[in-house]
Order: sequence, then C-alpha cells, then structure tokens
Amino acid sequence: MSRKYNISDMTIVVTGATSGIGFAAARQLALKGAFVIGVGRNEEKCSEAIQKISEESPGARIRYIMADLSSLRQVRDLSARIRSVAAETGNDRIDVLVNNAGAFSNWYISTEEGFELQFTVNHLAPFLLTHELLPLLKNSEAGKVITVSSGSHYRTRIRWNDILMRKRYNCLLAYKQTKLANVLFTTELNRRLGPSSNIRAFAFDPGLVNTDIGLKGTAGIAKWIWQLRKNKGRSPDIPASEIVWLIENVDTPQSNEVYWKGCEPKAPSRYSRREDAAVRLWEISEKMCGVKWFSG
Amino acid sequence: MQSFVCITGATGGLGKAFAVECANRGWNLFITDISEPALVRLADGLQTAYGIKVLYFPCDLTDADSRARLIEEMSGRKICLDGLINVAGLDFEGDFFDRTKEQIRTLIRLNVEANLEITHELLKLRNSEKTFRIINVASLAAFYPMPVKAMYSASKRFLLNFSIALREELRPMNCTVTVLCPAGMPTNEKCIRSIDAQGFAGRITTKNVGYVAACTIDASLKGKTVCIPGLTNKIVRFAGSLVPSSLVSQLIGARWKEAHRKSFQGNKPVLRTDN
Repeated sequence: MSRKYNISDMTIVVTGATSGIGFAAARQLALKGAFVIGVGRNEEKCSEAIQKISEESPGARIRYIMADLSSLRQVRDLSARIRSVAAETGNDRIDVLVNNAGAFSNWYISTEEGFELQFTVNHLAPFLLTHELLPLLKNSEAGKVITVSSGSHYRTRIRWNDILMRKRYNCLLAYKQTKLANVLFTTELNRRLGPSSNIRAFAFDPGLVNTDIGLKGTAGIAKWIWQLRKNKGRSPDIPASEIVWLIENVDTPQSNEVYWKGCEPKAPSRYSRREDAAVRLWEISEKMCGVKWFSG
Repeated sequence: MQSFVCITGATGGLGKAFAVECANRGWNLFITDISEPALVRLADGLQTAYGIKVLYFPCDLTDADSRARLIEEMSGRKICLDGLINVAGLDFEGDFFDRTKEQIRTLIRLNVEANLEITHELLKLRNSEKTFRIINVASLAAFYPMPVKAMYSASKRFLLNFSIALREELRPMNCTVTVLCPAGMPTNEKCIRSIDAQGFAGRITTKNVGYVAACTIDASLKGKTVCIPGLTNKIVRFAGSLVPSSLVSQLIGARWKEAHRKSFQGNKPVLRTDN
C-alpha cells in the first residue's frame, strides 16, 4: 500500500514522550526521519529517551522539551519553546501534534491554578496546547492533531455540575470523563475548523496497553485494576505504530472519521457525538484556559 | 462595597481546595501564603476560570514582621471581609526529642500564634452588615494525644478548644466560628505516601480535599461548631471518646510508629504544609 504522506518531511510534536506509547511513537517517528519534538516532565528521563533513540539511529533528528502539563502556565511557555525549536528546520511549521500525555491519580490533586490534576493534564493541557500551536499547524500542508483517548470514554458522561469532580471524586470515573472530553474536543475542533481547513483532528484509541499510567500515584483497588489491565495489555510499540500509520495514511482534509482504533475508524460513544455537550465543554475549557478560539 | 474571603495557606492542597470552592460560589478572595509566584498562578487561574476578584499578598506567617506587613496591607487597602479561613499550619513528624529548637518554635508560631493573631486582627476588617464566618483548620488529631505527632496534635487541640470558646464570645457580634477536623488528606506526594503507608486504615479515613472544602463551607454557612468530614472519621472520633486517652494514645502510637517507619524509612522528618 502506498503511503499518502511522507513522514521524513514532517515536524512532529509528541507529549508524554519519555515512556509508554509516547516514547514508542517518538522513537518510531524519529527512525522514519521525522523531526520529533518530544515533551517530558522529567529532565533525566528526557535525556535518557534522547540517548536511547540516538543510539539506535545516530542521525535521528530529535529534541526534548521539559514541561509539566499540569500547569497551564507551563503549557503556554512550552508552546513558545516548541515554536523556536520548530523554527530550526527553517520553517514555521508543525505537521502533527500528538497529544499523548496523560495522568491518573487515586486522589483529588489540585494543580497550581486550582484545577484537578487528571482533568488538567488529560484535557485542558491538550486543549490549550493545540490552541497555541494552531498557527504552526496551519502552515502545514496537511496538519493533524491526534489526541490519545481510550475505550474508557464509553459508558460515561460529563459531570456539568462539578466538572472537576471536587465533591465526589472517583479516580476511575474522573479518568473516564477526561477520555470522553478528548473525543468531544476532537469532534468540536473539526467542526470549528470547518470542512475547508487543512487541519484535521483525530482521537486515537490505543486499546489495552502495557504502560505504567495507572500505577503512578495509585493504591488499593484502582492499582489492582490497572495492574490486571496492564498485564493483559499489548506492548506500547503496537499503538505507537498505529499512530504512525494514522499520520502516514489518513487523508487529512477528506477524512470525516474522528475515532480510530487499530488502523480503522470506529464509532465513538453516543454521548461523545452530542454537539451540545461538545460546545458546552469547549466553552468551559476556554474559560478555564483563558483563551478564545477563532475570534478573528 | 466589594468584600472578600481571606484564606491563609491558600496555595497548599487544602488551601487551594478552599479557594476553588469559594471561587465557585462567586466570592472574591484575598489569599496569602509564603510563595508569591504560587499566589500569582492561583490568582490568575481563579480569576480566569471563575471571573471573581482575587487579591494576594505573600506572607511568612511564622514571622511577626511579615504578619504586620500583611495586616497593614489589608487595612491600608480598606479591605472588607465576609470570612476568614485559617488553613496555614504545618507538622514536623517524628519523635519530639529528635526535633530541633527551630522546628519547635516554627510549629507553635504557625499553628498557634499566627492563627490567633490573624484572627484577632482580621476581625476588625469584617463587614458588619453580614454574618462574619471564621473557619479554623484543626485536625482529627486534635481529639487525641498522638505520639510521633505530639506537638502537632496538641497544637490542633489548642485550636479546637480556642475555636469553640471563641465562637461563644463572638456570638453577639454576629460571627460564627467553625472548626474543621479532617483526617489526613492527599494533598502532596509526601502525604499520599504517608496515607499509603497506613494501608487500609489510611485509605478509609482519607477524604479528598475538594469534598472536605465543600463540606466545611456548608457547615460554616449553617453555623456548625465542629466539622468532621466523612462517616468513618465521625465514628473514629466517637469511638475514641469512649476510651481513656492514655489508651488511645498507646494504640495510635503503635499504628503511627509503624506507618512512620514505612513511609519515611529513616529519612529526615518531612514538612507537611497542611494538616
């Protein structure tokens, strides 16, 4: 099968790129010759990732930027740094943004701006980062915003009365809500970009993957569930290669498919297709991030 | 006239939860804590997300001069208060004999001296047209003498008794005092480690900060005296009152020493900024 897009010409941003799916994707993309800008929270892990990839392919074009996505201030800062790193290629352009970073927490943790940790890292950070990087994505021939959602988004809803789940926080329900938010964000972004845009957004379902996401900051039943799921999960290399496939093959302006799993489009949950929910979440997110999209 | 709710220790885990809870109810805030950058970030976040007015002033509450500057700033700006939430507090966990003089002084200054002085001074700034709400943050530890946290639990006992008495004194002035007695809360990585180290007991007594803050504000608006969030904690509190305190102390001591070992494994004592 011939590929539609050539990765070696691309500048690709991957968040959460020091472990799990993010690292695997950054590695595969770099080996295919893309200019990869990875985002990680931990300096040591960032340099480790660079080292691993460079050992495998000395010519790999890869940079890592450190940022803690639980801080919206750092997300803004990050986008400015991405812009200057991307400019190294001589183009003011990003072709693909992979919003992969995700967090899970057993307990309600407040971020420095006063939001809840999972909601911020999993939803607000990609929302804001995409907003900040949109001008660069527009310079691409066929820009893609790929947000890593999950099958967790099925069978749940948004808690409008308490979206941060401050009063009745349940770690797994809070996680499910953020993954639903990823799909709602993706559909609404496509709707707002309009059919003529050169940018398309996709929600990607990695399936059950053997990563540590649920083991960071968990204990008790939640940890046990994650451990069970993890043991059954696939290697992160598989979903990473599916992300690569998505980047190479899905026709950007033409595709109307929003939700992808295993190189195939799949119907997302009914709730995630509700336009009123998508619009409402969008407006709340804009308010929390203090931005206004498409205001001229 | 614009009026505010003042929160001390506002950038810690519980402080932030209180700030968000108040912001969500549309109340303007005056927040203080030791770190100015953290205050700026929180203030920005709350202002954009909730559209309220947030003023801040950094203050080291253990320092009398710094407190004086805070009070001066607030009275200078003619700030009018509807409520005061004293969250700032700390704990140096570990055996009393291993603590330094500096740690002993700091704990008493923050948990006791600062709380009393701030309450005293800010009462003068209250909005006399409305009921003035004071919330003091004690701890479930206030009900028991707690080995390994001897100073901390005693300082919280001080706050508990003080708050209940003050409530009666202030009743004719149209003020209420509510004292919050939460169990440990997962506000930062160290607290979480400490909760996990206690195992099952830690998990069932632990309540999320958002829930605690919401409960406490509701209790305060109803004019309640003591707020203990969570049914398990209410039961623990009740059961504890039936047993002589020396025995409770022995039991808690055995549990805490074990948890303390597991959680810190010989590390230096850890500063916990909120309860």
